[in-house]
Amino acid sequence: MRVQQGTLALMVLKTLEAMGPLHGYGIARRIEQTSGDLLSVNYGTLYPVLLKLEQEGVVSAEWGVSDNNRRAKYYKLTRAGRRQLAKEARVWEQTTAILERFFDPLKES
Amino acid sequence: MRIRQLRGWLVRLAGVFRREACDRELAEELESHIRMHVDDGVRAGLSPREARRRALVELGGVQQTKETYRRQRGVPLLEDVWQDLRYGARGMLRQPAFTLAAVLTLALGIGANTALFSVVDALLLKTLPVKEPERLVLFKSMSPREFSPGAYGGIWERDAATGQNVMTSFPRQSYLRMRERQSEQGALSDVFAFGDVTLNVSADGQADVAGGQAVSGNYYVGLGVRALLGRTLTDEDDRAGAVPVAVLSYRYWQRRFGGDPGVIGKGLTLNKAAFTVVGVTPQGFEGAGQVGSTQDVTFPLAWEPQLYAEPKSSRMNGAGEWWLRLMGRLKPGAKAEDARAQFERAFRQSVVEHRAARQTQAAAAGGNPIRELEPKDYPRLLLTPGGRGEMETRQSYAPSLYLLLGVVGLVLLIACANVANLLLGRAVVRRKEISVRLALGASRLRLVRQLLTESLLLACLGGALGTVFALWIKNSLLAVSDWGGREMAALEPRLDWRVLAFTLALALLTGVVFGLAPAWSATKVDLTPALKDGGRSSSAASRSLLSRGLVVLQVALSVLLLVGAGLFLRTLVNLHRVELGFNTHNLLLFGVRPELVGYKDERRAQLYQRLAERLEAVPGVQKVTFSRVPLLGRVQTTRSVYLRHALAAAPDAEGRVKANGQCNIHFVRENFLEVMEIPLLAGRPLNERDDTRAPKVMVVNQTFAGRYFPGENPVGKRLTFDPGKPDEIEIIGLTGDAKYKRQRDEVPPTAYLSWRQGLGEMNEAMMELRTAVDPTTVIAAVRQAVREVDGNLALSNIRPQVEQAEQALAMERLIAKLTTLFGLLAQLLAAVGLFGVLAHSVAQRFREIGIRMALGAQSRDVLKMILRQGMLLTLLGVALGLAGAYGLTKYLESRLNLSQMLYGVEGFDPLTYGVIAVSLMLLALVACFIPARRATKVDPLVALRCE
Repeated sequence: MRVQQGTLALMVLKTLEAMGPLHGYGIARRIEQTSGDLLSVNYGTLYPVLLKLEQEGVVSAEWGVSDNNRRAKYYKLTRAGRRQLAKEARVWEQTTAILERFFDPLKES
Repeated sequence: MRIRQLRGWLVRLAGVFRREACDRELAEELESHIRMHVDDGVRAGLSPREARRRALVELGGVQQTKETYRRQRGVPLLEDVWQDLRYGARGMLRQPAFTLAAVLTLALGIGANTALFSVVDALLLKTLPVKEPERLVLFKSMSPREFSPGAYGGIWERDAATGQNVMTSFPRQSYLRMRERQSEQGALSDVFAFGDVTLNVSADGQADVAGGQAVSGNYYVGLGVRALLGRTLTDEDDRAGAVPVAVLSYRYWQRRFGGDPGVIGKGLTLNKAAFTVVGVTPQGFEGAGQVGSTQDVTFPLAWEPQLYAEPKSSRMNGAGEWWLRLMGRLKPGAKAEDARAQFERAFRQSVVEHRAARQTQAAAAGGNPIRELEPKDYPRLLLTPGGRGEMETRQSYAPSLYLLLGVVGLVLLIACANVANLLLGRAVVRRKEISVRLALGASRLRLVRQLLTESLLLACLGGALGTVFALWIKNSLLAVSDWGGREMAALEPRLDWRVLAFTLALALLTGVVFGLAPAWSATKVDLTPALKDGGRSSSAASRSLLSRGLVVLQVALSVLLLVGAGLFLRTLVNLHRVELGFNTHNLLLFGVRPELVGYKDERRAQLYQRLAERLEAVPGVQKVTFSRVPLLGRVQTTRSVYLRHALAAAPDAEGRVKANGQCNIHFVRENFLEVMEIPLLAGRPLNERDDTRAPKVMVVNQTFAGRYFPGENPVGKRLTFDPGKPDEIEIIGLTGDAKYKRQRDEVPPTAYLSWRQGLGEMNEAMMELRTAVDPTTVIAAVRQAVREVDGNLALSNIRPQVEQAEQALAMERLIAKLTTLFGLLAQLLAAVGLFGVLAHSVAQRFREIGIRMALGAQSRDVLKMILRQGMLLTLLGVALGLAGAYGLTKYLESRLNLSQMLYGVEGFDPLTYGVIAVSLMLLALVACFIPARRATKVDPLVALRCE
């Protein structure tokens, strides 16, 4: 399944919220694992998304050292990023809730 | 757009400028990504090599990632443009000859357009430098032909649609009534008046003649103009008993008082009345009047009658003259039509009042009563937009200016065609480069964009250099003529932001015009052959068709310009050859207005005599005469001629007698004909005894005699200008014909009358001095002589008669000069274009020519072949151009009154057309000959081997 850029961005934000500061490789692996290997994403497409998020000020980045002593660029959510995530999560939930009613009319009370 | 996205774009914009640091950081980040991925792979049991391979596959390629990353980082379009610009600049520097040729060509075209636009803008487009000019309205009136205003100073125009008269001026009564109406509620927040007055200004012991303006007290408030220095006028100043004050224009303040701030409070004598300067208006404000009417000194309307020694000289004497211009300011949101309706009644009332005053005046003088008016014959009020001031004189320049604008537009078009051709030639050279880039996957649109960027760069360089040219062209445009010198000086056309915006727009437009076709055709490449042989065959056919088309167009356009130039040159030559009927050489002219400094009646007559006698004593001056108006001065005085038999006829219903016709009259000193060298053919000249006490006499010219006394000797005949006094004047002499108003006009029936018998008319005069030496050398002595007679008497407009005659031809000369200059330029450009196309064609047909020669063609045959190709194009262009010129002159004759701009030559002039066709063909032959010669030098062996 292919992923749209907007969705990917949301995934990145959610991952960073769950895992704390993380480097690009880590984020990619985490998304792959979480999706249960259902998603096939070129890891490379992640970097423009990260850049865009950074430009918009929802994540910030700085260089650090990884567990096995590799220099890596770590990304973390900013305060604006948390707000943004909360907002988009709400929108997402609403959207799915509405769609659910269409796909599963029996649930209607 | 949300804040978050806005921030994103700002950061991206910033990203344009720190690319290298970003690139390094990304490379590092990807490197660390891959290392970690490899580490994981190795840990999972893969070989390091395999682990690295998989890592790269899953990343999706380092270069691809970098490219998408870059697109996100900056603003791709901007970066592409920047890249294209740098690439284009490098390319241009590599080919300096091409660049120089293109930029120079464009600069000439754009410069000429910019210069002319700056003049058109200043004259016709720009609004007044006042507060909210769009709310200003100008009053005019429209009346049936039956309506006569009495004394009138202003512009008359005939309305084409209704045949009624449109007048620009109003009597004082209209101002008063309409100001009253304005004080009630209405659509206008102000109504104000102004009128031109010529002033003799004395200050600091020096006298000069200045343009003056009498204005209502609310003039400056109504226009919304504040003083630069001191204050402007108010209603308080514009009433009887107020202190007489005046306001200076910035230019006059600079010219006359050297910009001295101490001028406020200074005393100034206007004619005979003492005024105090209270203010200076800002630079650039030249009043709202016609172009050429200068407002050096402005004073309150109430003071106008005080300026003159004789009450009748005042334009407000008695009933008063129609000479005031009225303007109003609309309240915000108000409509001009509402204002018109509101003021119509007040205006009509003022006309009734004015006529009543004239009636009283006529009765007091014992003259005939003025005819009663029917309601339908009263004038109606008109309101026109006033934001640009009075436009009538400006509009009269419009046809010539638009003609010139058309000429420079053609020049620019030719320049575009030329540069387009140069670009086409260059595209061939760059064909391999373009093919490679297309083969590597560049989109055609992307390449067109790059080529267009390059042509825009060229155009902008051309525009920049063109602006420099424009300064020079504009200055010479203003310098060539009186038209430029005096009237345009007040406009001070400047290369301000409006003009520069025009230039920029023009440059961009030309960039697209000359760049698009070559760019499109350059990128239309069939890849395989182009890559194989470096671009010699295939689609070259369509391209050379385009470039040939461009050459034909250039030739045709230059023929068009040259025909115009030819017609105007012949006009100018014809006008110079016109038999004037008098001797213009060694004749010095200047004007004096003794009335302004208080001379009247007998004293004025004595002054003229004293002046003439004193001037005759100036060394180098042979004879001195004077007249009311100069010859070729573009002014005239006319009278109706009544012969005895016309007076015998029954008067019409209104008691008027039909005149036999009109004639021009000249009040002159007795020796005028002798000094001017107008030959006396019969009878006697005027002499000192023909004064007020003697019977009225006059000398007439041949046209006069032919018109009114055909086949008879006019000497001894009698006639009159006043139907009440039959046979009042006796003709005593007959002279040769001499031009009166200007060279172009037919010699009118002219009568010369003694100034002694028209002293009332002689409130001002033109002194005419016949000199033994170059007239300009005696000017200083002449000024000194006049000062000795009266230090307060100002000389105006001192110049030789030759110059006066030239001034009358200013417009013709300007047009002839410019069209010739641009026509020759266009011809040169066309020749260069032709040369380029042929040279290029020879280069392309190198091999073909080689084969022909190997097969036995002589160099003569090759020469003929190439020449035929070039001359065919020229012939086509010339034919098209001549047909175009014929069509255009026919069109202009119907639309622009071209026939009034020409003299002694028809729009379709076979001589002009023929000479131009032949000269262009000759030039083309030269342009073709060089590449043709080169073709004959082709060595068959080399040509065949070089594949």
